[in-house]
Amino acid sequence: MAKEFDLNEVEVWDGNYAASQALRQAQIDVVAAYPITPSTPIVEGYGAYVANGYVDGEFVMVESEHAAMSGCVGAAAAGGRVATATSSQGFALMAEVLYQASGMRLPIVLTVVNRALASPLNVRGDHSDMYLGRDSGWIQLDAFNAQEAYDLPLCAFKIGENLDVRLPVMVHQDGFTTSHKAQNVYPLKDETAYNFVGDYVPVDEMLDFTRPVTHGAQTEEDWHYEHKAKQHKALMDSRPVIDEVFAQFKELTGREYKRVETYMMEDAEVALILLGSSVESAVLAAKQLREEEGIKAGIIAPRCFRPFPYDLVRDALDVPTLKAVSCMDKSAPGGAMGALFNEVSAAAYTTSSRPLISNYIYGLGGRDFAIDEAKRIMKEQKAHADAGHITTNIQQFSGLRGPKLGFYETRRS
Amino acid sequence: MSITGSTVGTDKRGVRELGGEEKVGWDEVQQGVVLNSFDGTTEGAAFLKAEERNYADFNSYTATVASWRIIKPVYNRDICIDCQNCWVWCPDTSIISRDKQMLGIDYDHCKGCGVCVEVCPTNPKSLLMFSEATDNDEALAGWPVKEKKEK
Amino acid sequence: MVEIRWHSRAGQGAVTGAKGLGSVVATTGKQVQAYALYGSAKRGAAMNAYNRIDDEPISNQETKMFPDFVFVIDPALAFTDDITKNDKPETQYIITTHLSKEELIAQIPALQDKVERTFVVDCMQISLDTIGRAMPNTPVLGAFMKISKLYELEFFLDSMKKVLSKFPQKIIDANMEAITRAYNEVK
Repeated sequence: MAKEFDLNEVEVWDGNYAASQALRQAQIDVVAAYPITPSTPIVEGYGAYVANGYVDGEFVMVESEHAAMSGCVGAAAAGGRVATATSSQGFALMAEVLYQASGMRLPIVLTVVNRALASPLNVRGDHSDMYLGRDSGWIQLDAFNAQEAYDLPLCAFKIGENLDVRLPVMVHQDGFTTSHKAQNVYPLKDETAYNFVGDYVPVDEMLDFTRPVTHGAQTEEDWHYEHKAKQHKALMDSRPVIDEVFAQFKELTGREYKRVETYMMEDAEVALILLGSSVESAVLAAKQLREEEGIKAGIIAPRCFRPFPYDLVRDALDVPTLKAVSCMDKSAPGGAMGALFNEVSAAAYTTSSRPLISNYIYGLGGRDFAIDEAKRIMKEQKAHADAGHITTNIQQFSGLRGPKLGFYETRRS
Repeated sequence: MSITGSTVGTDKRGVRELGGEEKVGWDEVQQGVVLNSFDGTTEGAAFLKAEERNYADFNSYTATVASWRIIKPVYNRDICIDCQNCWVWCPDTSIISRDKQMLGIDYDHCKGCGVCVEVCPTNPKSLLMFSEATDNDEALAGWPVKEKKEK
Repeated sequence: MVEIRWHSRAGQGAVTGAKGLGSVVATTGKQVQAYALYGSAKRGAAMNAYNRIDDEPISNQETKMFPDFVFVIDPALAFTDDITKNDKPETQYIITTHLSKEELIAQIPALQDKVERTFVVDCMQISLDTIGRAMPNTPVLGAFMKISKLYELEFFLDSMKKVLSKFPQKIIDANMEAITRAYNEVK
């Protein structure tokens, strides 16, 4: 039996340590990992817990991230509770196997510490890796600070392992900004946390010798489509399960999570929509802007990036006073509008308020997101709102040196 | 004796054409494309003969590919020395052998590649390829005699 | 909100110091942040660590700050780093040096209008004398307690003992002595 870990009511943990503690409390059977900056301490932490008797599990060192996720797929198919961690290039190398995990309906938890993708090589946080995973069929939850980096993995196991879901779950946090910033974290006791997550219930496990099964079968055009449709439905149907698990977590801890977080949106005229640690800074900026300039600013933050919460984003945007919003994408858009812009625009199209929507690219490679810049962007939205149209390029770059960079304008006749 | 397979009534070998299974809709496909080899539980399946196992529809044992074959191997028990060479080399596990004794060909899974004939060491060979339409008894009746070594 | 910026070299324990301070502060019901700007930095490279302390949950995730306190825990960085970056009229400086305050300020023009906000203490010598290694991170916190009056010295020493509880008693005692000396010697 694993030893109990001595925890204080309040700890000062960074996001990495917080995530590793959550993995420990979930008593994972297998972690197969190939550590990479900035998520290394999650794996290191888990390795130490195994070595020191705090987990009755196996820590498997492998030769690459592709092998790490492959090991996780094997262990999960065998019938164990499985998790790992990665970032950036490691995430990219895992990409092929991510699709296998979701298609095989294996509820693996992957803690992703978001980091820029090379080239140029960069260890700091942006959302390129998170965006790379968005079609992989995984549930993607997003932690904005260290406390959430602890809370959300606990929820992730419970969501993914739900028998109506049975899908792998990523829990994202921002590299360095969250992963290496120590903040007050209020952990649960080991027993409380484990009881919340619950015992693992294996499904079609390979180690059940009374019922041999084939995992990873090939299907061609006669079967593949039906399987992918069923998988998509499971992902879409995970929404009420996520809501239910968040509700249970609130009952246990008092900490409330929603698939879309909204701040001061009740009477908002302008809003920013963004992900990750920047949400917290943006909320602070919006509060200041309300006090200093009387601009009614609000913030919308998808907590659940996949399945993308069209329903709740639409609800959040359907505020009669709302005139202009900017979607902030922390990933190089690669010849398109930012992904968040595209998805939010699709949701906004079905609202009656139909706010003006513009797109900002920001924070690439860990560029600091300044409170003042958040305020400037919200003031710009106010100018759009007052003019009744987007007065700038629709897509712009924030916090970038050199001449202003932007693309597309509103067509007006 | 029958050499075309088991005589056990419950044997599910080749009960359907490969790909002839029912094509169910997305709502009925197996979650995660997990395919069970047997129906029900199968405690000790390793100790049962193939024809005694309760194979599921997704196991290829229950599917037949006999129609793929143009020519077929015919087996001559009278010459065979039970060396197991054909059993080792057959790419489709279609040589039926029990206790190291050759019983015959699994014509549901044999695709007629002829490897078994190629590797047979006897003289004359104990396996020869014939047209699919040729009757096995007829083939055996006209089996070639031992070749004399050329001097 | 109290904001602190540390100027240090990678390996001198600024991150550990910032987290240690954070751990003490958190036990008193306050909210903290402790973070650093590093990553690919090698041992000896100049780097910054940061603390934020507040009564309310801290949602500011911006790295840049306008510090209330600046700790310079490597003597040479006072000369080579932009230690007065984002200075406010009330920013206070605690600088590790073997020089007297007058000698130091005479050599650093940026401090010359901040004489009454500048404090010196030789954390290097103190840590060499007590801990036996150049580890200026805990001594500077002693000096900080004196200047900021955030906590009584006795309370801070007791709290730090708990933070350092995983270390051998000898190391804990040495750190306590270092903190106390810096508290008494900062000018």
